[in-house]
Amino acid sequence: MPKCLVCYKWTLDEKDIKIKPADSSLDTARAKGKISDFDRNAIEEAALLVEKQGGAVHALTYGTSAVKQSLKDVLSRGPEKVYWIADASADAADACVTANVLAAAIRKLGSYDLILCGEGSSDVFNRQTAVRLAALLSLPCVTYVEKLSIEGDTVKATRKLDEGSEVATVKGPVVVSVLGQINKPRIPSLKQVLAASKKPNEEIKITDLGLKPESLQPKSVHRSVKGFVTKRKNIIYKESSAATNVAKLTSSLAAEGLR
Amino acid sequence: MNFQLTEEQQLIEQSARDFAKEFLDPIAVQLDYTGEFPKAVIAELANHDFLGLHLPAEAGGAGAGFVSYVAVIESLSRSSAAVTSIINNQAMASYAIQTWGSDAQKKQYVRAFIKGETIGAFAVCENGPTTGIGPDALNATKTEDGYVLKGTKAYVRNAGEAGVYVVFAVTDAADPNALTAFVVDASAAGLKVGPRLNTMGLKGCPVAHVVFDDVKVPETAVLGSLKAGREIATRVLALASVAEAAQTVGIGQAAVEHAAAYAKQRVQFGKPIATLQAIQTLLAEAATDCYLARLALRAAAQLVEDGKPFEAEAAIVKSFLARLGSKILVDSCQVEGGMGFSESMPLPRLFRDIAGTTLLDSPADFPDYAIAASIA
Repeated sequence: MPKCLVCYKWTLDEKDIKIKPADSSLDTARAKGKISDFDRNAIEEAALLVEKQGGAVHALTYGTSAVKQSLKDVLSRGPEKVYWIADASADAADACVTANVLAAAIRKLGSYDLILCGEGSSDVFNRQTAVRLAALLSLPCVTYVEKLSIEGDTVKATRKLDEGSEVATVKGPVVVSVLGQINKPRIPSLKQVLAASKKPNEEIKITDLGLKPESLQPKSVHRSVKGFVTKRKNIIYKESSAATNVAKLTSSLAAEGLR
Repeated sequence: MNFQLTEEQQLIEQSARDFAKEFLDPIAVQLDYTGEFPKAVIAELANHDFLGLHLPAEAGGAGAGFVSYVAVIESLSRSSAAVTSIINNQAMASYAIQTWGSDAQKKQYVRAFIKGETIGAFAVCENGPTTGIGPDALNATKTEDGYVLKGTKAYVRNAGEAGVYVVFAVTDAADPNALTAFVVDASAAGLKVGPRLNTMGLKGCPVAHVVFDDVKVPETAVLGSLKAGREIATRVLALASVAEAAQTVGIGQAAVEHAAAYAKQRVQFGKPIATLQAIQTLLAEAATDCYLARLALRAAAQLVEDGKPFEAEAAIVKSFLARLGSKILVDSCQVEGGMGFSESMPLPRLFRDIAGTTLLDSPADFPDYAIAASIA
């Protein structure tokens, strides 16, 4: 029976984020948190596997102090226990830092047959955490997974690729990152929500992970984040001659830098 | 003082919202057109524990409390208040049986309600000036082994779909105000459901008169004790008025959100109409009414959950929404102009539904009596 660990990220819900008209910067003051979309698929897949063939599902997250808001939510979706690392370093963490922290935590927690991640997070969608995590743990990694099963110690995963799909068969332990189409995350029933309060959660202090300071130093830095706003110029060329209109259009485009 | 839902209540509310998007949004328009009873949705509601939300865990319910119940009804009503009308009426019947029923009645009905196997109906209204008075009043005549019910209950929601009815009848002709509650199986001989009434809104929740033509029931059909019916009905209707207010706030919220989304994408005079002051005033007033109603609603629900007197506060919410519920819709429609009047938009359906949630069970001026009585 597989022992599964699902890594998830607590992100801001993009539907609550507004773009400030003055400078296109993001207004996140009223944005609520949520479990990143593909991570919900990872949680659901682990829960389905264990409901079908037994085993255990644990969850692990690293984030700012806001991750505490995620604990009951994740526990209502199937995992029997959640481990959480809350540290200010997460605010600027890139995939490299995140993978360093998660890998150190997993080494501390012990072995898992299957480590599941979402293919990418809802906010930055770098799609790097799973592969970096596997490299740090010296485990095989299967990405872009749309179908998953476990038989004994072997994981069979169907990967969705640009020009078709392929089936990977890997002996566990293995890190798997899943796509949205792998399943439909459950809407937790009220009893599942209420039962979440009775499930255990355990904080892991980042200082207990034995990480060197450089492991928490991001390799990439976000200077600023701006919302994308389509601004139309609404220019209408009204000359009677089509050739003149085309000429005006091409010169306008050239003026915009399109040559 | 904390006006926020707890973390658990927020998760329950979010579950209800997610449920509504997945199961109610796709059928809401169809329900409004066909009025068809949404059996598949009732099964899903049961699967997600929404039908036992208000009932204690020992009865098989979720035991989530009344604040959660109200938050769920509001969230679901944003998508379909017809469905929440079914839920509310079912909850009135299940709450009455769970609170006043015998062990045998609870065993027979409550778990079936929670699983969605049996639909419940709470039938208190009559065509006369008040329940118990008038030619159609439901009378219960004592026999050797029970009672014979004769009369008509009017405007019964869930009528025809219900497997069991909680009804109120006069057992002592000399004392028509002393009602007795009975639990009656829909299959009882002589129980006839009249033609379905064509209602203005909340379609999908069937409404009909139910005729009791010498319906024989055993003595064990009495709910609570003899002549305790008025107390049961008063308590349940007061709770229902809070739940109906939650429906109204949910419908209002849906209208405001739709109008705001429309105003952002509708361009006039070279810019979205959301930037025009006249439109902003309409949106602001509708959002303000909705926000204040929600605060009052949750305050009343918290009193219920704390076991404190809540009737005056429930009446205040009902009265507030009776005056401003429809105005939220008028303002929202005004934002959308001619398009808001079109049946291709959701506002006409919301308009019809909000009329139902503000008018049914008690007329708009009735809460004023309860409010005035609480202060003078």
